[in-house]
Order: sequence, then structure tokens, then C-alpha cells
Amino acid sequence: MTEPNATPSHRAKDAGAKIIRYQGVVKRYGNFQALNGASLDVHAGEVVCLIGPSGSGKSTLLRCTNGLESVEGGDIEFEGARLPRDERALRGVRRRMGMVFQSFELFPHLTALANVAEGPRTVLRMRRLEAERRALAMLDKVGLSDKVSSYPSALSGGQQQRVAIARALAMEPDVMLFDEPTSALDPETVGEVLNVMKKLADEGMTMVVVTHEMSFARHVGDWIAVFDAGRVVEQGPPTQIFDAPTTERTRDFLSHLGWTG
Amino acid sequence: MTFDWSVVWQHRDALLAGTATTVLLTVMTMVIAVPCGMAVAALRLYARAPVRAVATAYVELFRNLPLILVVYWAFYVLPITTGLGLSPLATGLAALALNVTAYNAETFRAGINSIRKGQIEAATALGMSRPQALRRVVIPQALRRVLPILASTWVSLFKDTSLVSVIAVSELAYVSMQIRSQTFRVLEMLTAMAAIYWLLGYPQAKLVDWIQRRFVVTE
Repeated sequence: MTEPNATPSHRAKDAGAKIIRYQGVVKRYGNFQALNGASLDVHAGEVVCLIGPSGSGKSTLLRCTNGLESVEGGDIEFEGARLPRDERALRGVRRRMGMVFQSFELFPHLTALANVAEGPRTVLRMRRLEAERRALAMLDKVGLSDKVSSYPSALSGGQQQRVAIARALAMEPDVMLFDEPTSALDPETVGEVLNVMKKLADEGMTMVVVTHEMSFARHVGDWIAVFDAGRVVEQGPPTQIFDAPTTERTRDFLSHLGWTG
Repeated sequence: MTFDWSVVWQHRDALLAGTATTVLLTVMTMVIAVPCGMAVAALRLYARAPVRAVATAYVELFRNLPLILVVYWAFYVLPITTGLGLSPLATGLAALALNVTAYNAETFRAGINSIRKGQIEAATALGMSRPQALRRVVIPQALRRVLPILASTWVSLFKDTSLVSVIAVSELAYVSMQIRSQTFRVLEMLTAMAAIYWLLGYPQAKLVDWIQRRFVVTE
């Protein structure tokens, strides 16, 4: 299935191999058509930002990537293989994809350190000390080495989200999925989370980011996909999307946000 | 009207033994009803439909019957239908455990259901299996939430054990009533009984208050 309005992919010369491939993905919730043939490629080392109005399907596509939602039509490939339907095999894929949620979803009964060590301990079956050493390194990476023994309830939203990023990174994933990571934050803590994400991008992490932060998409994104009514209506490098959008839908969406470049 | 409080002291050994039985009944009932309540809750949440229906029927039956009826039923009907000749104490314990298990099952089920879906998704996204997510993420949080409710159930149960006196289990209420009918010292014995229940119950209630403050869930 091809996108009628999708622009051809002119990837940067140094774009890596395709790591995720969405082909005509379809998903319904009752009568609501959340995804209606969404197609998109994600290359290794790229930051792909999914933008578009609420309910346009970007979060749903992200949640289909690691099987939190099942796909009803089309295909999702991860590293050349179709996403397995079998729970057991799916778990193998999930541990290679980190996910960061809008509402953080830290485990409230565990300290920051234990939150980050939980994946390595339970899923990778690391010994406690080893898992905690890795967790410490990850908390340091997000600038929270002074909060190791804090419980989530004692942390600000921005700090909680950084712990959540560290928790995902502790699994040493190949891809990081971000589902509106700054939408639930106070304006003054958005920056600290975006900075951590930018640092990750600079280190070459492959990232798929659902976001309403247009300036992040513009400056950190390598590839932008614009969603509308369950499909990708335009995709391209940020310069194209933000400076010279080729579709009416993109222009509409950006003008609603008051985007002026 | 004259009071003779010496009757209480004269029967101190019997009262002490009755009190011990009351405490034993409370502890034993909870020892049975906590794990059984968890098991029934797990059946209601995760078992196949027919098993789930049986578990639900059990909970809804025993939660909505007066405890005293269950006590009588266990005493008169259980031996006839099962041929088991249980002692009054064991019968009383069975009736209390049946009742409190149903309550605890509801408590645990509500506790598990109160954990947001996003928590399971976060665990799943890390690569955990469903049992791992339950064991590591859902159940530890649910237990914290239900602890204050279990503590309240405990305090109610401590007082409700008095209902098994109707089948001659020699716990505190039964013993007090026996002494009353032997000595005709009604007011003295009722007062002594009230004092003992209160002195034991009040610290428990305070402990519950403390537990509720201590384990308040902050997110």
C-alpha cells in the first residue's frame, strides 16, 4: 500500500539501515479508525518525529511498534523481521526497544535506582549489584545521580521523566520510543527532558518521538512524519516539513500551532 | 442495688482462657483468610470463565449472608452434609474463615484493579511477562493499598469472633455469659467483658490508624 500524498524518502547520505518499517498499518478501536494504512521507515541512528493533530494515529503507531497494541492490517518489521504475534517472541523484541510514556509510569513503590534496575534484574536476570551499577550509570547519564534513593513521589515531573528514560536505557535498547514525553510536564521542566533526549540523539540512538514540541522536531529530528486521520500525509527532513511543506494538511497543521519557523 | 466486682476476679482464669481463645480465633481466621482471599481474588481475576463464576458466586454468597447464620449453618448443616464431626472451635473457625475469605478476596481484587493500566504497560514495555509484571509491579503496589483495609477487617473480626459463642465456643463472650448465668452478676460480667474487648481492641484500632498513615500511597 502506498501513500498517495507521501513524499519520497530522501534520506541523508549517512542514514543507516532500515531498523523499523511500517507498511500500511491499520488499527481500529470500535468504530474509530486510529490507523488507516500508515507507512514509514525508520533508519538506524535517526531521530524520527511523528507530528500531527490529536487522534491522528501517531501514538497508536508508536504503541504498535512494541506490540502494546496489536495491528489489524499491514505490517511492522523490526530489523527485517515481521513483528511476532507470539507473546514470548514479542517480549524478546520489547527488551530491545525502550519506551517512555507521557505519564512517566515509574513504579511508585521503588526508588529511582530500583526503578532503573528493575528491567535488568527481572528481564535480563542480572545480579542485584550488577543491575544497580548499571542503573547508577544510567541515572548519572540523565543527570540524576543525586536522586538515586528518592521515590518517584518526591521527584518533579521532569525528574520523573528522566528516571523513566534511564529505566528504558538500562535495557540497552536498539531503539527508543517516546510517546509525548513532555506533554504532562510543567513548562519549566520540559527543557531538561528535551536536553536529555537531544544528548541521546547526538550519541546516535535511534529514536521515534511522538511530540508536540515543534522546535525539538525541527532542530533534533532527522526525519519528520506528519500524521492525519491515521496515515502519514507527508514526510521528509525538517527543512522540508517546516520551511517548505508540500501538502495542505501539513501547512494547516503547522499554521494551527502558530508555527512561524 | 449492690455490685459485687469480686466475681470478675474470682473467674479470672476462665476469662483469661476465653480471651486467649478470642485472640487465637482472630489470628487463625486471618492466617487462613489472607492466603485464601488472595487465591480467590486470583481466580476471579485470571481463571477461566467457569472457575471465575464459582469464585464470584462464593464471594457474593458469603459476603451477603449474616455471619451468625453462617455460624449456625456450619454447626448444624456441615456435620450432616459432610459427615465431619468438628469441634465447636473448629466449626467456628471454619465459619469465620469462610466469611472473612470472601471479604479479603474482594479487598485484594479491588486492590489489584486499582493499579493503573499504564503500570502494566511500563512493565510490559521493559520486556516483562504478565506473571513478572504482576509479581514485581502490580502486587507490591496492590498490597500497600489493601493493607489498611485488611487492618480494619482484622479489628472487625476481633469483635465478630463473639458471634461463635452461639455454638458454645468458649471464647471471651461465651465464657462471660456462662459466668453471668452461674452467678447472676449480669452488669459486672457485661462490664468486664466490655472492658476486655475494649482494652484489646483500642490499641488495634490505633495500630490501624497508624498503618493507614504509614502506607498512604503517593504517586
